[in-house]
Amino acid sequence: MTTNASGADAILLVGHPNVGKSVLFHRLTGAYVNVSNYPGTTVEVTRATARFDSSASLLDTPGVLALPSRSDDERATMQALLNENSRCLVQVGDAKNLRRTLTLTALLAELGVPMVLALNMHDEATARGVTVDIDRLGEELGIPVLTTVATGGEGISPLTHAIAQARVAESLLRYDADLEADIAQVAALIAAQCPHPHLAARGLAILFLGGDTAVADWLRSQNPACCGQLEKWHKIAVDRNQGDLPARLARERTEAADVLAASVLSRAVRSSPLWSQRIGQAVVHPLWGIPILLGVLFAVYEFVGVFGATTLVGLLEEDLFEGMLNPAMTHLVSNFLPWPWLQELLVGQYGLWTMGMTYALALILPIVTTFFFAFGVLEDSGYLPRLTVIANRLFSLIGLNGRAVLPMVLGLGCVTMATLTTRILHSPRERIITIFLLALAIPCSAQLGVVLGMLGGVSFTAVLIWALAMVGILMFSGFLAAKLIPGRRIPLVTELPPMRLPIVGNVLKKTGGRLKWYLVEVIPLFLIGTFIMFALDKSGALPAIIEAGEPLVSGWLGLPKEASAAFVMGFLRRDFGATGLFAMAHSLSPIQAVVGMITITLFIPCFASLMMMVKEQGTKTALMMVGFIVPFAFFVGGLFNIALHLVW
Amino acid sequence: MSPNHEASLPLAFIPAGDNVTLAALGNEIDPQQREQLTAYGLAVNRPFKVLQQRPMTVILAEEVELALEHEVARHIWVKRKQNENDC
Repeated sequence: MTTNASGADAILLVGHPNVGKSVLFHRLTGAYVNVSNYPGTTVEVTRATARFDSSASLLDTPGVLALPSRSDDERATMQALLNENSRCLVQVGDAKNLRRTLTLTALLAELGVPMVLALNMHDEATARGVTVDIDRLGEELGIPVLTTVATGGEGISPLTHAIAQARVAESLLRYDADLEADIAQVAALIAAQCPHPHLAARGLAILFLGGDTAVADWLRSQNPACCGQLEKWHKIAVDRNQGDLPARLARERTEAADVLAASVLSRAVRSSPLWSQRIGQAVVHPLWGIPILLGVLFAVYEFVGVFGATTLVGLLEEDLFEGMLNPAMTHLVSNFLPWPWLQELLVGQYGLWTMGMTYALALILPIVTTFFFAFGVLEDSGYLPRLTVIANRLFSLIGLNGRAVLPMVLGLGCVTMATLTTRILHSPRERIITIFLLALAIPCSAQLGVVLGMLGGVSFTAVLIWALAMVGILMFSGFLAAKLIPGRRIPLVTELPPMRLPIVGNVLKKTGGRLKWYLVEVIPLFLIGTFIMFALDKSGALPAIIEAGEPLVSGWLGLPKEASAAFVMGFLRRDFGATGLFAMAHSLSPIQAVVGMITITLFIPCFASLMMMVKEQGTKTALMMVGFIVPFAFFVGGLFNIALHLVW
Repeated sequence: MSPNHEASLPLAFIPAGDNVTLAALGNEIDPQQREQLTAYGLAVNRPFKVLQQRPMTVILAEEVELALEHEVARHIWVKRKQNENDC
């Protein structure tokens, strides 16, 4: 799968966020992309060959709340529409929200590309008493319209047949006369001076007048000379509408969608809300929301921190690795490899097997497995977007809105992916603050598991101190960042998708996919990290670093001087460093354990995450963040060392 | 009271459980956010139900549940429907 445009005919899946495009993509291609029950899971275009036609590639595009595009993910979809050799658009709509679906259809229809409309989640519409006259809707739009339930595989075969019969849709509306005159003028200019090979000039004109920057950039790239005239017409139209042009165009599309929806939609009167709606309302209830949140956090802690990090790690590390595999491996290596240095490289203190593989498989694997499973359940249930409501007030203190909780929670899985997900945030200011906080104070799943495993073994108080410290530092740093970074806070407006029973197959598939990705990344890095530690040790550099770091590590942080090695490991991956501290847990006092975990949690993010920061924010900003984070981590760790000795 | 003389009220003032129709989106709302609200289905005369007001305003528009911060909800003007919830 790639994200580059190819010469093959493209079939694009487009639609609102969280309508099931990625599940349909999986059904139509066999390729698995991460699927969740909240908007913004897909932030980049994904491509795979269609199962039903090997000459066509199918593209899963990020959900668009509306077109013209405004956010980065909407621009990614618009760029796919502009740059692909589009054979057909499959608009995936939510069957229970027909008006909204048709509002987008009203714009897509103007692009002049053959279309199919798949009304997905038909089962949920039926459960809510919503019935759509599919035949009539198909007749009115002039395109194949069908219902699907992507999660259950219903309607997939009819969809593949419909794609073969896709047609250009009928326009849903004629705009008011003055708007039509502007559209015609701009469309004529586009058709004459910078025509698109597949998209109709009228559709591009509507998008351009609506302020779509991706379309404006494309037109500029095709014919810079034409842009001056286009800009002139745009300005005239905007001035005449007193700046309300995009909203007026959108309003007229909405009205047209309303009229069409009303003619094909019937709704049975329901006597009471569905159970999913009741639960959905309870979890954001002012009284019940917080106890439910605490209950969810406790359940995750019990599953990951106790079952994963204690029971499973105990079984794997102590019983399997320390009890059986490591002695057997040591015996094997000692008997068959005559070179002591090679023996040490494999099974010594910094041995590739005894350290690298043991850390990766015995300590990290059970923790991330339980975390990914728990996270998958929460994702599929629809609980995560409701966290945005509960967290909104807290996040308003740091200049963000509750929407930022999604990348933050995703960061508890993997900070690297979460950094990419900040694209769902609406302003550059929100994104830079969130990326900074992710890099500073959000531990990834492996690190979180190690922290819970290590501090859980000390006491619940230790876990609580660490958690409160992280929240406090997050809030304090966020507050300062919000003061320093110019711009204003955007109030929260967000959709709350329905609560659903998680589908076990999807959760397992997601857990497996994430584990595979994690292990492919982690095992080589752990082995490289172990080798670097071995080389530093043998060359005498590690003892020198440990000695040099003693004033900081032992004097300021109050840790044994050997903990310096963990911080050296932490430069490669924070969780590698945390695991290094975990491995010496028996020799740490409770205060040392808490201080060590606070410091390593705040420490520099992993290399992959750093690269993602560079990709999203540029080298300068990323390095500035790292330049702040590393000394800040040691500074805060030292403060906690002093404070905890005074009170504990 | 005839609909023509019915006052528009800020959405943030409407009690949970009431059904309302949208009268207008105030100019105080950021233009992009107004577009966003329209995209979610908040168009003039469209009906929706207020589900709760704390900690945020939550409404049910068609089958879309939307959470809105009070800063936005107080600039959304609605008309209360004379419905089954009115005693």
